[in-house]
Amino acid sequence: MTTYILRRLGQAVPQLFIISIILFALMQSFGDPVATLGARTPPKPEDKERLRRMLGLDQPVYVQYLTWLVGNDWQKLDMDGDGVPETPGPRKGILRGDFGNSLVTRRPVLEMIGDRLPNTLLLMITAEIVIIGLSLAIGLYSALRPYSFFDNFVTGLSFVGFSMPVFWLALSLMYLFAVNFRRWGLPYLPTVGMFDPQVGKTPWELIKHMVLPVTTLAIISIAGYSRFVRASVLEVLGQDYVRTARAKGVRAMAVVWQHALPNAALPFITLIGLDIPFLLAGAVVTERIFAWPGTGRLFLDHTERADFPMLMGILMFIALAVVVFQIITDVVYSLVDPRIRLN
Amino acid sequence: MKRNLYTLLSLAVLASMVLAACGGGAAAPTFTGTATITFVQEPDSLSPLYTTMWFSGITRDFWLKGMWSFDENNQPVPELATEIPTSENGGISADGKTITYKLRDDVTWSDGEPLTADDFVFTYDMIMSDKNVVQSRYPYEDYITSVTATDEHTVTVAFSEPFAAWLTTIFTYVLPKHVLQPVFDAEGTLDNAAWNKAPTVGIGPFAFSEWESGSHVIFKGNANWVKPAKLEQVFIRIVPDDAAQEAAIIAGDTDIGVFLSSDQIAKLEEGGAVDVVAVSSGYDEGWFLNVNPDTAHPAMLDVNVRKAIALATDRFTIVNDLLVAEVNPVNVTFWDATSPYGNPDLEPYPYDPEEAKRLLDEAGWVDSNGDGTRDKDGVELVLRYITNTRELRKNVQAVVQQQWSLVGIGADLQNHSSDVYWNGYNDGGPQAQGLYDIAEYSSVGSFPDPEASANWLCSEISSADNPDGANWQGVCIEELDALLQQQAVTLDLDARVVLYHQIAQLMYDEVLYVGIWKDPDLWSVNSRLQGVKLSGASPFWNAHEWTAPAPAE
Repeated sequence: MTTYILRRLGQAVPQLFIISIILFALMQSFGDPVATLGARTPPKPEDKERLRRMLGLDQPVYVQYLTWLVGNDWQKLDMDGDGVPETPGPRKGILRGDFGNSLVTRRPVLEMIGDRLPNTLLLMITAEIVIIGLSLAIGLYSALRPYSFFDNFVTGLSFVGFSMPVFWLALSLMYLFAVNFRRWGLPYLPTVGMFDPQVGKTPWELIKHMVLPVTTLAIISIAGYSRFVRASVLEVLGQDYVRTARAKGVRAMAVVWQHALPNAALPFITLIGLDIPFLLAGAVVTERIFAWPGTGRLFLDHTERADFPMLMGILMFIALAVVVFQIITDVVYSLVDPRIRLN
Repeated sequence: MKRNLYTLLSLAVLASMVLAACGGGAAAPTFTGTATITFVQEPDSLSPLYTTMWFSGITRDFWLKGMWSFDENNQPVPELATEIPTSENGGISADGKTITYKLRDDVTWSDGEPLTADDFVFTYDMIMSDKNVVQSRYPYEDYITSVTATDEHTVTVAFSEPFAAWLTTIFTYVLPKHVLQPVFDAEGTLDNAAWNKAPTVGIGPFAFSEWESGSHVIFKGNANWVKPAKLEQVFIRIVPDDAAQEAAIIAGDTDIGVFLSSDQIAKLEEGGAVDVVAVSSGYDEGWFLNVNPDTAHPAMLDVNVRKAIALATDRFTIVNDLLVAEVNPVNVTFWDATSPYGNPDLEPYPYDPEEAKRLLDEAGWVDSNGDGTRDKDGVELVLRYITNTRELRKNVQAVVQQQWSLVGIGADLQNHSSDVYWNGYNDGGPQAQGLYDIAEYSSVGSFPDPEASANWLCSEISSADNPDGANWQGVCIEELDALLQQQAVTLDLDARVVLYHQIAQLMYDEVLYVGIWKDPDLWSVNSRLQGVKLSGASPFWNAHEWTAPAPAE
């Protein structure tokens, strides 16, 4: 097992290296970060030129990549624009743990991701628990009573949920439960943010503010997941060993819990394992609409600004998470299913 | 005796009242209530050195005052200075090259340290230092030769030539030397100073409390400010989605919102608690016509053709159909929203397609090949009409294309993403390189100062030899050039207004700018919050007077 994990980690190094080159090349088509710096007051041409020089954006792409990768602290940079380098470079490079600074906020990328990650994890893990719990329950119930009214009803609802655009669902929920409920004098939920400034950051405030975004994420995902659970449970229920168990007179519930579910769960674990890294990435649209300060919005905001150190930081972080969680999924697989041997 | 007793008693009561009043004055002010504001963009930084973003700049009305603010009529209100320098009070030297700022001696930073002239010298040094990757050095780099502390409360600024736009561009902020000098000394730069993200020491009615990235910024009432706030806190929430901001305003989750569009007004005001206020910060939507012989369509060089283009465009219908005409009427000059510089005698070019046709015929642009578009010497009258990708502008383009077709002008509609659209000559900016005939956007000078003359100066024409040139229209008219140069060094307000009216008239006659609509900022203000007087130049200038009910227990 240890050899397997080490080998997989070893393979990941060139993988991440190639990913970083491809991503960095793609970043070049994102536009000019300096042009968007002033928002509605675009920077003056002479300021633009000075900023490009000082931020190193006037360098060839490969130099910028190398600086990002291994830093420039052994070089001197020309900060005053007289053509003579005089100031030592500040960067250490990602290989030495320096993800660089955002071009627009000038703050360290890692610090900025660190600011947002807890918020994203709070939202996404809560949503994931709700999604897994409900989709298991719904999928299982549907599989045990296939083509019943409940199954058909839920199938219909899944399609509706699955095909709803996130922004539309999010805004509809917001208008119904936060705007109209308040107008109608009913108990209502807040529109945006994580807490009401007049009350302060209390756990109850946080829960109230999480209801709508979690519901949005859940509605969209439960649809697909519950169908997935239903299909794999149905498939397992048709297997020979289930028939044998039933023939032996094992109780119906025991067949489901001891035989069907553990086997049906295998593909589900794969699905969740692949999902977890993307929990870190956050939910771009949901976070934006509910003004939830997570990594999804961080990524979106900085994409619009062509802030490549920030984007590279987030993407490499997710790439790393994907690699790690794939390995973890494989390991969990071998633990759950004795037929699978990793070595 | 009895009368004496009464007198004594009254004196005693009076004395106790006076004492009580004095005691009250000396005690710390009490702050109550919260103002919640939504921003659709998060400031990149709170340090004015590292961003020129409008959303960062307007927070400084709360926590980092400059020499003066501008009131709801955009008139300067002294904050750190005792008065606005003029030639009469000796603040402006006879040659206009020296301005002396007198500082108040009773203001302190939020940590109690006194404000001194050294803070301003330090601010100038930090802006100009090559060790700091500051966002903008305008106008310090080009116009100022030195900033000196004449005494503890006097700052003297020397200019290379008189600089008319000084009122709105210089020392709109100041940095706390006692906080930042040690950081600069230790790190060699302010680029990574903690103060940029958490400016715990400021100078204004509120003081910074916390900034959670992506979520909110909180400012708390500052007891050390000369005009103490009434509110306990200002809570700025970052809500990037327009529709979500609208919901938050309607639900009453926010007291002030901005960057609203005119089609939202009715919906927001429906409940009666929200008032939508149009406040101009100088932006007007307009057309900038390319008249550069090297890059423009040959027809653009004829003033009568330019006039015909304006007459062939029914901007009145456009503002009626696509906007709210009461909020966004058709504007005339570039300075309509920068009072008093817009020329009040001018009327928008009327919609007169027949006159447009006549002018085009007269200029020799006729449809000789019967393809529906006019032509001359084998050149079709198809104009490149460019703008960015904003949906509203695309709709305007489509309507204009249809209107022009009625008089035989073809339109080649082009849209560029905003970063490309504003790029300079060397980065392939379509405006800078003159790859257009008509460019549409909303722009402003140094509001409330009108200064934007670089846009039309001969010396600023952008080209391969002058890639930083700001004159993307290729305008070079001797008389206009002289007027623009003269206003830039005219410090007398009345004289400058006269010059601007002449400039506007000349640009109107030459049809260099065609106004489309006035583009004020739309703010929502919930009636829960009282005393709000928004200004275009420094929106929250009177935040110390705002009141809101205390939260229910």
